[in-house]
Amino acid sequence: MHIHELNPWRTLIALSVFVVLLIVGFLTMKKPLMSYQLNMTQSVEELTESEAYFFPWELEGVINKETTDVVLFDIRNNFVFGQGHIPGAENISANNLSSEENIARLEELKKMNVTVVLYGDDELHANGPWMLFRQVGYDNVKLLLGGYKYYFEHKEDLAATIDDDGYYIGFPRHNYAEMAAPKDGSAAGTSNERQEVQVQRRKKTVVAAGGC
Amino acid sequence: MNKNYIILTILMLVLAVGTIFLNREEEPKQIEPSKLLQEIIQPTRYVTTDQVAKMIIKGDPGLMLVDVRSNSEFEEFSLPNSVNIPLDSLLTGDNLSYFGIPGTQVVFISDDAIKADQCWVLTKRLGLNSTYVMLGGLNKWMETIIDPQQPSDDEPYTVHETYSFRKGAQMYFTGAEAEVGGSKVKVEVRRKEKTTVAAGGC
Repeated sequence: MHIHELNPWRTLIALSVFVVLLIVGFLTMKKPLMSYQLNMTQSVEELTESEAYFFPWELEGVINKETTDVVLFDIRNNFVFGQGHIPGAENISANNLSSEENIARLEELKKMNVTVVLYGDDELHANGPWMLFRQVGYDNVKLLLGGYKYYFEHKEDLAATIDDDGYYIGFPRHNYAEMAAPKDGSAAGTSNERQEVQVQRRKKTVVAAGGC
Repeated sequence: MNKNYIILTILMLVLAVGTIFLNREEEPKQIEPSKLLQEIIQPTRYVTTDQVAKMIIKGDPGLMLVDVRSNSEFEEFSLPNSVNIPLDSLLTGDNLSYFGIPGTQVVFISDDAIKADQCWVLTKRLGLNSTYVMLGGLNKWMETIIDPQQPSDDEPYTVHETYSFRKGAQMYFTGAEAEVGGSKVKVEVRRKEKTTVAAGGC
């Protein structure tokens, strides 16, 4: 005879404690700050959508405060931000992007229909965070093409960059096949010219050599 | 049989059935967004063109180059032994099975690093490890390996060292292509000379 069989209530008490624990654990489970809203296929398609990008000439209106529904987030570190940044930009260095306050801020901005433009040193720098935020459902987050570098080079006349395509990256700047091909033998020490095979014909001897 | 045992058994069964409904995710295994962000902000995924060139020349068996440009671009030019998986067909077919093989290092290659980086983020979301991005992409490859620029004399020693490596790599890569092109080597046929004077008969 087991000890709990002496008191049939013990099992029930233990059971209910167990169930209560489960429920408490389930309710107090920390809800993750972010969860994916786009599946993998959608995430791939998202990359080709021009809506998701912010063009440098659009900055003109933001800096002059004509466009009010745009917020600039500078993801570079605090030091370089201090040395220079796009006017009106906020500094949220990459390390703080996933902080609770920042997520709450993004949530709020999304509700207010405000576009958030991420920029880093160059396009590549902000590419990862931008992709992530769009995948977790912040479809108001855009990526500044060219990054800070392009802005800095063209800050005198941003409106003119509408005709410039220098901020586009991700296409070949060289003719790869031509460049990588061996150049007139000097680079690789070989040549493609066909060499003639010189065959020396045997000359007939003039003098009769005699025979048997 | 004791009533208590029956209750316990039923409870265990109910809980077991409950777990089936818990893990009902349509998507394959993914890492958490906040963890992904932590991975994203670290620059450890970037490798330089020099590093990639060195690995190719050494014939590193664990190296796998994945070219994420389109099919036609890949056919026009590609790095030796690279595999073509265009970004938009990353998820189709068995393409994902190329990644996450223990002991291999996958390096993504595109024109600039941008497409390769996007591919990296997507594969990282699926929890695939040891994937890298070639910084600067093929444009940088052309500028550094295929056509290295000679540094000026007052540059530090390391710059010159890099240059001499690149010069060697340039020969390796452009020279290796030449052999495939089928250049002919001069063939000399030397006949044995016959003696002029009659050597007599039988």
